[in-house]
Amino acid sequence: RDSVAPQKEKTIRRDELESTIEETLLEADVSYDATEEIIEKLKANLGKLKRKIDYPAVEEELKSVVRDVIQHNNKDAVNLLTVEKKPFVILFLGINGTGKTTTIGKLAYYLKSNNKSVVLSASDTFRAGAIDQLNILAGNVGVEIIKHDFRSDPASVAFDAIEHAKARKMDYVLIDSAGRMQTNKNLLDEMKKIKRVAKPDMTILVLDAMIGQDVINQALTFSSEINYDSVIVTKLDTDAKGGSIISISAGIKKPILFVGIGQEMDDIIPFDVEWYLKKIFSS
Amino acid sequence: MVLDNLSESLKSIMRKISGSSFIDKDTIKEVTKEIQRALLKADVNVKLVLKLTNTVQERALNEKPPAGMTAQDYIIRVIYEELLKILGTDSNFDLKPQTIMLVGLYGNGKTTTAGKLARLFMKKGLSTGLIAADVHRPGAFEQLQQISGDVNCGFYGEKEEKNALKIVRNGIKELEDFKIKIIDTSGRDSLDQELIDEVHEIKEKINPDTVLFVIDATLGQQAGPQAKTLHDAVNIDGVIITKMDGTGKAGGALSAVADIQSPVYFIGTGEHMDDIQIFNPKKFLSRLLGMGDIDALMEVV
Ligand SMILES: Nc1nc2c(ncn2[C@@H]2O[C@H](COP(=O)(O)OP(=O)(O)OP(=O)(O)O)[C@@H](O)[C@H]2O)c(=O)[nH]1
Ligand SMILES: Nc1nc2c(ncn2[C@@H]2O[C@H](COP(=O)(O)OP(=O)(O)OP(=O)(O)O)[C@@H](O)[C@H]2O)c(=O)[nH]1
Ligand SMILES: [Mg+2]
Ligand SMILES: [Mg+2]
Repeated sequence: RDSVAPQKEKTIRRDELESTIEETLLEADVSYDATEEIIEKLKANLGKLKRKIDYPAVEEELKSVVRDVIQHNNKDAVNLLTVEKKPFVILFLGINGTGKTTTIGKLAYYLKSNNKSVVLSASDTFRAGAIDQLNILAGNVGVEIIKHDFRSDPASVAFDAIEHAKARKMDYVLIDSAGRMQTNKNLLDEMKKIKRVAKPDMTILVLDAMIGQDVINQALTFSSEINYDSVIVTKLDTDAKGGSIISISAGIKKPILFVGIGQEMDDIIPFDVEWYLKKIFSS
Repeated sequence: MVLDNLSESLKSIMRKISGSSFIDKDTIKEVTKEIQRALLKADVNVKLVLKLTNTVQERALNEKPPAGMTAQDYIIRVIYEELLKILGTDSNFDLKPQTIMLVGLYGNGKTTTAGKLARLFMKKGLSTGLIAADVHRPGAFEQLQQISGDVNCGFYGEKEEKNALKIVRNGIKELEDFKIKIIDTSGRDSLDQELIDEVHEIKEKINPDTVLFVIDATLGQQAGPQAKTLHDAVNIDGVIITKMDGTGKAGGALSAVADIQSPVYFIGTGEHMDDIQIFNPKKFLSRLLGMGDIDALMEVV
């Protein structure tokens, strides 16, 4: 894989430092504002510069600035396996096609592998084939699913799933939802209703690693309109560097919980800062 | 007003130089820097932005605005022209009987677009059938089947079959009487060699008349490189940009178009089967630059 570092020279001129780092971060899809913030921090850390500086050293320092930003953001991340409340209700949110439904299958698999009981709520009652998709995943993973008819009320599906879990003392309820643009008022209202009814213990925003600068629009609007507690970034098995992880950590400050690394049910890992740094800074 | 939605700082620079017929070198540099920023924030490929703004700077320094046009309007026009060079002019999709294959990244909107296209063709009196060649994503078959029911078009799929090529072969035969056949394929990316090979093989063996690349307006810097890999594998004839109803600026998609030199035919503007429009490069650019009415500017000429 390519390094995010665009040039291979060993030294770099002081006056080129800023543009080089800027290019590096922007090419990794880090938001414009987070890029500026990181460059400021980097410059402060590097202190007084010589005319020519050692590029590998700069990259090391850059890595450490980025590490700080992400680590600081993730220090309060919840460990899903040790939560006490039963059932622990998790609602999934995101724009269309980011990987919500697939991620629910994966998370169900992860929880089940850790001896937890899980029920899925098929609350995307809107998109063609969405209920079938979740149903197949539930079957593959071997967890229960509560589903109603196509076009039925998503909130009442969630309600039923939670009742089902309560009656059987199950550990987790994972609520799927239809993809929605953060610009769509009706769908934002629908989501508010699901939230009101389900009273989730955690709401997770699912982001696609290929996303560019729009991450800030999505993350901020969903935060003010719906509010969410943490983030899962999918499709990190691709060539995408997933700069959104840095953008979120710097700008919105919601912990990253898991990352998706493929289409199979075991292609999910708890977010690990060092793993991520390796991915973006690998050459 | 042309400059209405431009980023604040660009606007303020524009205000500063407003009305003057001459702009000095430093101001031009300042303006290009702001344009650079606007394009980067719109996800245009970083290297493409640098190249483009260099050209803009050259032209702004060396060319004289035509009579009756202010210098700052001229700079905007130069930028606009340079971007338009990449996008090309309006390209009309040929509504003739054909087999179309849709390709693209995971979750970018291929299956939904298949339904939208079917509705579009049928409105023009062309019977259409959809072929379900996504054998990987759970529920892909059901999704396309349901969509074909919604738009009331033909459908072919084999639920348990895992060989996409075989399904396409049978589908083309089975849907022989339909004027338009649209093949829906799995999402894939450049690192998944197996899936790249799969779609390459379908292209080689079936040889569809038109391969359309479906790409999402929120994509960032990966758009170009991903398009290139797919282009190498299947030779893309045209592009459809989806999710234009969101706030993604589609600069990634623009960069992909620049990389593969294929026309953009349609944009997707929602989840409903009618939410598809013919691509208009001018509207697209005014969105990309965060500008209101770009036509007004061009009319000054
Ligand atoms: N390579 C890869 N593909 C993924 C990953 N997560 C999801 N996908 C794929 O992305 C596509 C969309 O995933 P879905 O789970 O259907 O997305 P969604 O957010 O539920 O979509 P909507 O409900 O339509 O909004 C599918 O093709 C998935 O297989 C991942 O981590 N890696
Ligand atoms: N808002 C909006 N959503 C869209 C648009 N086009 C497609 N979608 C939605 O995007 C999501 C993914 O669409 P699909 O058609 O399943 O995408 P795909 O490329 O077939 O996905 P895979 O087969 O999993 O790779 C769905 O929720 C669609 O409803 C659009 O123009 N606007
Ligand atoms: Mg879904
Ligand atoms: Mg599909």
